[in-house]
Amino acid sequence: MKHLFASRSHNKPPFLAESFTMPRSVILSTMILQMKQSYARNMFQFCLIANPILNTILLYEMFRNSGQENFASYVVLGSGLMAIWGCICFSSAGDINRERNIGTLRVIFAAPAGFPAIIVGKILGNTLLSLVSLLISQITATVLYQAPLALISPGYFCIAMIALVVSFVVISSILACLLTLSRRTTLYMNCIEIPFILLCGFSFPIEILPSWLQTISRCLSPTWAVELLRMSVDGVTDSSLFWHKLEILAILSALYTLFAAWLYHVMDRRIRIHASLEVS
Amino acid sequence: MEPIIEVKDLYRSYTTYRGSLRKQKITVEAVRGISFSVQPGEIFGLLGQNGAGKTTTIKMLITLLAPTSGTCRVLGYDTFGQEKYIRPRINFIFGGESGVYRRLSARDNLRYFANLYRLDPKERERRIDEILELVDLTDRADNLQETYSKGMTQRLQIARGLINDPEVIFMDEPTVGLDPLGAHMLRQVIRRLRDQGKTVLLTTHYLPEAEELCDRMVILNQGKIVATGTPAQIKGDAATLEDAYLNLIQKGETP
Ligand SMILES: Nc1ncnc2c1ncn2[C@@H]1O[C@H](COP(=O)(O)OP(=O)(O)OP(=O)(O)O)[C@@H](O)[C@H]1O
Ligand SMILES: [Mg+2]
Repeated sequence: MKHLFASRSHNKPPFLAESFTMPRSVILSTMILQMKQSYARNMFQFCLIANPILNTILLYEMFRNSGQENFASYVVLGSGLMAIWGCICFSSAGDINRERNIGTLRVIFAAPAGFPAIIVGKILGNTLLSLVSLLISQITATVLYQAPLALISPGYFCIAMIALVVSFVVISSILACLLTLSRRTTLYMNCIEIPFILLCGFSFPIEILPSWLQTISRCLSPTWAVELLRMSVDGVTDSSLFWHKLEILAILSALYTLFAAWLYHVMDRRIRIHASLEVS
Repeated sequence: MEPIIEVKDLYRSYTTYRGSLRKQKITVEAVRGISFSVQPGEIFGLLGQNGAGKTTTIKMLITLLAPTSGTCRVLGYDTFGQEKYIRPRINFIFGGESGVYRRLSARDNLRYFANLYRLDPKERERRIDEILELVDLTDRADNLQETYSKGMTQRLQIARGLINDPEVIFMDEPTVGLDPLGAHMLRQVIRRLRDQGKTVLLTTHYLPEAEELCDRMVILNQGKIVATGTPAQIKGDAATLEDAYLNLIQKGETP
């Protein structure tokens, strides 16, 4: 039997062009559907509501005697971010499996709208919904510890928030591609959740990490988004530093996007050749 | 006339690994060199035992699976490599699984899928009403799918498969789980599709149904075609299609 995979010549689809012309209506309707589905799940509710409450309590107790001046921003922001990241991790691992089990995976995979637009819609839905955790951390801190709402530069905060969502969506797209290439998705998600929390400085400044680890941190886009967020909460004193960090984040995110598009292209072929997504 | 589905010398094997330390490679040859073609407007049947390779063939035709070798073309395009020209113009229904979202009503499900097929909103609402009527779900259209019975879910899946007014529709055991009335409804839908000039490729284990519906069919056994023709041709001298089928399969099993 002749194997044609290697020899078959393909007009390479312009995967970059395709990834930039995603239909907005598809992203939007997928996002809304995903929010409905995720919110209905107990696990997601736990990640969204219980997780930030527990994190806030734990981080508060840890930071209480740390001598840190701005520990409020680490406690509230840190536990909120950890919860957001948890939501994203566990849903990107589980969502594909769930779609597979109900038989919709092959439908959305083969839809003319394009699977990438659907993936982005799902991730965006999960990410936006998970932002609620931030609010819950703040409420927990206020109710239990009378922590005031510390938000010194609200304008910058909005920008940082958008940057955070973008960077999470981009990095989750990469994860989604990697995960669809493998079947042990839940295992990998569990392995990846904690290192990201530590490396991206969600709950403590990355400066306390050894310098080789800091290098890795600097290559991860969420690190920069988190720093922007923290700057805006503590008050932006040096606005040029803020814009400089945003610039780095934009460049990193652009690179990640290119990588995600390439990875998708590889994945799209692999899963049909190896029958690995079990769309087949 | 140009065939709308063209399969020539098509092979597909699956490689799986067993064991974790010393991995043992297992290759299953699911489809072993089949050839057939379907003309526009035909209802074409794919019959065969469990594991004969019917679903594998359908998956290659609907762009979900790459052929290991051979030609697999739909609407004149390769299903692996030129799928973006095929996908908007075809659709598929898999019996026995839901294929729709639990948290949405039938109408919202169809709206969502219509969106994925880039239907414009006005056309979309008209089409949804029409299809809901066709599969007899109008009364329950606004209830969540999780409140549906199996057969109702299957009807909704059929509606989903028709949402983009496909030129070719692939159905893998579409009557599984339907009550007699539902199965009758589906047969009527299929005939109506043919009257509209659509092409239907279906698999079924229910031979009278195949005989009643199909213009032509192939019978697969262990990944190879053992018979091809109109139901009458395949039946030949046998009393029923089932007798002819059993003869063919049993002949294939005794070397
Ligand atoms: N993803 C897969 N990985 C490995 N083997 C597979 C896979 N899918 C199918 N097979 C094997 O390929 C062969 C053909 O399977 P296929 O599903 O095409 O049969 P079928 O004719 O549709 O059968 P049925 O009537 O039971 O639906 C079987 O031996 C099956 O075990
Ligand atoms: Mg099958």
